[in-house]
Amino acid sequence: MSDIDYKDHGGVLAPLKNLRFFGRNAVTVPLDPRTASANYRGFHLNDWQACVGCSTCQKVCDNAAITMVEIPGLPEDPVKGVRNLRPAIDYGRCCWCALCVDLCPTGSISLSREYVHTCVDADLDSYFVLPDSNGIHGVAYDKGWAKSVESDLVALERTDMTEAAPEARIDNFEEIVAGYDKNQAIIEASRCVQCGMCHDACPTRMNAPEYIRAIWQDDMEEAVRQIYRTNPFAHTCGRVCTHRCETACSVGHRGEPIAIRWLKRYAMDAVAPERVKQIAAEGKPGYVTGKRIAIIGAGPAGLTAAFDLAKQGHEVQVYEAMSQAGGMTRYGIPYYRMPADMLDRDVEVIQSLGVKIQYNTRIGVDLRMDELQQQFDAVLIAVGLWTGRSTRIQGADNDGVERAVELLRKVADGEPIRVPRQAVIIGGGNVAMDIARTLARLQKHRYGEVAITLTALEDIDHFLADRDEIKEAREEGVEILDARGPQQVVIENGGASGLCTWKVLSIFDEKGRFAPKYNADDQLIHPGDMIVEAIGQAADIALLGEALTEELEWNRGRLKVDDGLRTSADWLWAAGDMVRGPDVVTAVADGHKAAASINQFLCIREQAA
Amino acid sequence: MSEGKALSTWLDNLLTELEGIEIRRKSSRRLRIDVEASALPALLELLRGRASYVHLSAISCVDWPDEAQFELVYHVWSYELQSLVSAHTRIPRKPGVYISVYDIYTPAAFFERDIHEMFGVFFEGSPDMSKFILTEWDGPPPMRKDFDSEAWVNAHFDFQDYNPDWLQEIIAQGGGIAIRPDEQRFSRGPEPTAKGAGNKTVDKGTDER
Amino acid sequence: MRPENYEAQRHPPSNEYELNIGPNHPGIEGNYAFKLRLHGDRVIEGRADAGYLHRGFEKLMEGRLWIQNLAITPRICVPDPVPMEISYCLAVEDLCGLEVPERALWLRVLQAELSRLAAHLFTFGGHAATTGMYTPMFWGIADRDLILDLFEELCGGRVYHIYNIPGGVRRDMPPGFIERVSNTLDYLETRLPDYDNLMFKNLVFVQRARGVGVISQEQALDWAVTGPNLRATGLALDVRRDDPYLIYDQLAFDIPTEDGGDAWSRALVRRKELFESIKIIRQVLAKLPSLPGPIRCPIPNPLAWNVPAGSTYVRMESSKGELAWYVVSNGSEKPYRTHVRGPSQMHAVQVLEKLSIGCRIEDVAQIMFSLDACPPEVDR
Repeated sequence: MSDIDYKDHGGVLAPLKNLRFFGRNAVTVPLDPRTASANYRGFHLNDWQACVGCSTCQKVCDNAAITMVEIPGLPEDPVKGVRNLRPAIDYGRCCWCALCVDLCPTGSISLSREYVHTCVDADLDSYFVLPDSNGIHGVAYDKGWAKSVESDLVALERTDMTEAAPEARIDNFEEIVAGYDKNQAIIEASRCVQCGMCHDACPTRMNAPEYIRAIWQDDMEEAVRQIYRTNPFAHTCGRVCTHRCETACSVGHRGEPIAIRWLKRYAMDAVAPERVKQIAAEGKPGYVTGKRIAIIGAGPAGLTAAFDLAKQGHEVQVYEAMSQAGGMTRYGIPYYRMPADMLDRDVEVIQSLGVKIQYNTRIGVDLRMDELQQQFDAVLIAVGLWTGRSTRIQGADNDGVERAVELLRKVADGEPIRVPRQAVIIGGGNVAMDIARTLARLQKHRYGEVAITLTALEDIDHFLADRDEIKEAREEGVEILDARGPQQVVIENGGASGLCTWKVLSIFDEKGRFAPKYNADDQLIHPGDMIVEAIGQAADIALLGEALTEELEWNRGRLKVDDGLRTSADWLWAAGDMVRGPDVVTAVADGHKAAASINQFLCIREQAA
Repeated sequence: MSEGKALSTWLDNLLTELEGIEIRRKSSRRLRIDVEASALPALLELLRGRASYVHLSAISCVDWPDEAQFELVYHVWSYELQSLVSAHTRIPRKPGVYISVYDIYTPAAFFERDIHEMFGVFFEGSPDMSKFILTEWDGPPPMRKDFDSEAWVNAHFDFQDYNPDWLQEIIAQGGGIAIRPDEQRFSRGPEPTAKGAGNKTVDKGTDER
Repeated sequence: MRPENYEAQRHPPSNEYELNIGPNHPGIEGNYAFKLRLHGDRVIEGRADAGYLHRGFEKLMEGRLWIQNLAITPRICVPDPVPMEISYCLAVEDLCGLEVPERALWLRVLQAELSRLAAHLFTFGGHAATTGMYTPMFWGIADRDLILDLFEELCGGRVYHIYNIPGGVRRDMPPGFIERVSNTLDYLETRLPDYDNLMFKNLVFVQRARGVGVISQEQALDWAVTGPNLRATGLALDVRRDDPYLIYDQLAFDIPTEDGGDAWSRALVRRKELFESIKIIRQVLAKLPSLPGPIRCPIPNPLAWNVPAGSTYVRMESSKGELAWYVVSNGSEKPYRTHVRGPSQMHAVQVLEKLSIGCRIEDVAQIMFSLDACPPEVDR
């Protein structure tokens, strides 16, 4: 560009050059509102179907412009992670930065292309809006800045955790997962948006947002402290819990949920056991109440109740029939999922609070219920579900047919079992997977090869077992055949030689009752010298004795309890698997509930007396 | 640019010879020098007069209340060497007085006036220490860490209270405002809930076991 | 200053009088006050009075998460918001060690140069208006509007773009964008001769602007004058060349200079910079299609992001001069200190005061606009 020469006046006709401006189009801008661009950041839109009320938008708004409003009538489901809250925006504060859009876990909130709003002073309330899909003036505008892959700030991917490969793990019982190291844990913990859906979904209402934040800040003692507020079985739950928290996690709506369970495992493993004991004991009063409570069963429910009661100053005596504590978590869950020495740590913390456990003591045999009733102020029975149900098909009483629960107990107890050359497992739940994979390891170790067939009534998508369990079982060589119903055990020379199954057409009838229908033409014989039934568990309540069993009220085979888990006998409480069905974290929650009720009952009695 | 290279070598040699200063080279064009407060004016004079750092880009002040110090950072740029030197020094928070470098760099007047207003640091010899931006403010120097501007705003101003029709309808149905914005601001930090009053006493070391 | 706080000062009888210009005055760029002492038509002394645009950004930033500050940064300099955003992001990237993908760097240069174009067009209008010519103001703002349309397409906002994020940019270009930018540049290039005829070659403007507010080279270096103001004294110094950031070292552009050091030279330098910016943008547009890839490198969850402790000084060339940020982090999720050094902190205060001494009253506004002094940067 040449230099501007201002001296060039251009001659006397120069101004006439400007007549060409008459030939130019005037710059005309229409008076109608202009359509904004495709990316425009205008007023908010919110898809109420997709929004779960997690309030992450409120947290990231730098101007404190978002208020969460509770709207009755909207779905509210803690298990799925849905709240009936919706964001309301104060446009006096909003700066339209769209950080709420970029950080929304579900992608429900977006900014539209609408940008005009005026009002007089008297109508200033119109600045506070509750956006839905209709736009703030009820006129639908297209979306402007909405959730996109490029601008998404939600950390959707979970940090990978090292796990042993199938070849490495198939012949031993070592724990499969390696756990997070510090960097991985901090990165995984940083993904959390602190919405608290996990807290609402967990039966124990655990303070997961708090311990996740503590892990992110690398304050491991604080993490343990937060965990112990609701769960004294955290080494265990950190490995085997059914993680409803992760199902409810709001990041899990579009991405992978935060690995809340593995983070719990990391936090508990990171602090020295001695220090964990000290942290768990914080808040324990220096006095004793003089009340004595007996707990039958040193499983999660029993020991959690013991933990709570001991921390309230009561004297607790636990009676355990087996030689070690833990219940199903030791004798039902295989070592490769739940290493028993980590379970021991949980138990030792509880014992360090002064809880006494007497092992190898069977109530009903070594001690009777009425003795307990006399010697203690309250009794809690939490004996779990130790009897395996039988299919009762023809041949099920043969020696070659075992119950899964029995076998697992023997393996955990160190009792030798007959390792079959080929086994057929009946059942599609976690227990079936546990026994299948346990036998697979024993087979590999003994015979060098795995030969396990697993059949279940359900089709594969409806198996009750965790997806991870099914995947890992297949990796380890277990053959899984779904939608097959067992008809009879094939007996040869007095022993089991196989299982005959028919194809399942449906499991429930129109009324939802259990009434399986089969296709008899589709018949298979699965060869096997051991058949294992893993179709359900029942409680062994013989310990109660005839008189007490008569006296108590029952509900379809299970003890009837009130909201505080108290039975119809005012000195007896019941908690855990035997009341609720098999699940560790529900048992822990039950333990808390029973302890709170017992504590309340004892205090009332004290005042009354 | 051999003059520049010669200067640069001369400067590096000189800086390594001076005592009591710490040099960190961040990159080819960024150099950090930490120097005693008493030695800083001399260093600046040297940089300007002999090493061609004629351009004072900025003077920054950082408040370190935990260490009871103000950190003053003088960023000077040399057009010849095309490099920036940030000279850091610390002065005690009380009395918060320092010497002006206006005689070395004229632009210092603006920054010193600004720092005086915002942090309360008095620069002796600066031509004008009167207020510039906050002429009607008689509170504490606002950029100091112990002044909470948001708290001041909340104490002196009211935020708009809204009561629109849609909210009234929802309240009539049994709903209403569930979480106010101020309860969940990440920038204000979620308070760790376990550190309540109960646990704090136990935290101070019990020896029950 | 509020009327109730103003106390009229009594002076002994003299030929001098005090005149307060601003903060709300067409002769002042932005909200700013300038107190003059005049003898007749001549200025004896001028004192700048700032604070009308003080929003306390530096303090605000200390109380917000790193990501939340993105919404604040463009508001620090309203006419030219992009360098503010980019320099904040550069500072955070430096502290965190983030590697910005190449495509994002080129997109940032595109934004920065478009913003420079828009700011210069705005300034032409302002400068001309102070000499009594209002048509360049209409033209400048109308043409700037076309650039704002481009920003609206790219960033989702016309003035406050909030488009840069530490690690890159937030969105990629929409389809057909390169063509639309190119068309707008073509149109602007056809307008340049019109601007020349209307303003730069116009004797009215030339005679008003020449010789006003002269800065010599020594004074410029002494007073820390930067940007087009410095280049108008004859020194070819530009942060994009001397302290390259983003990908300016891969671009071919000249550094235009003038010799006069007066208001007219400054206007001319900006006029030539327009041309250079158009050149740069065309190079960027040519390069962008061959640069696929992400526009952002991954960053942690913004709600749980601790930037490592440290401090950094980032320099950029905004349309007004050297823009610098000093950012200190103490390893937490909020900045510990952010100090903004806007070019107008020099230009609007000391330089303006010194230059106004001895000038005529009608030139005071012109000096301010020719220096392209931007009060939001002074006040923050």
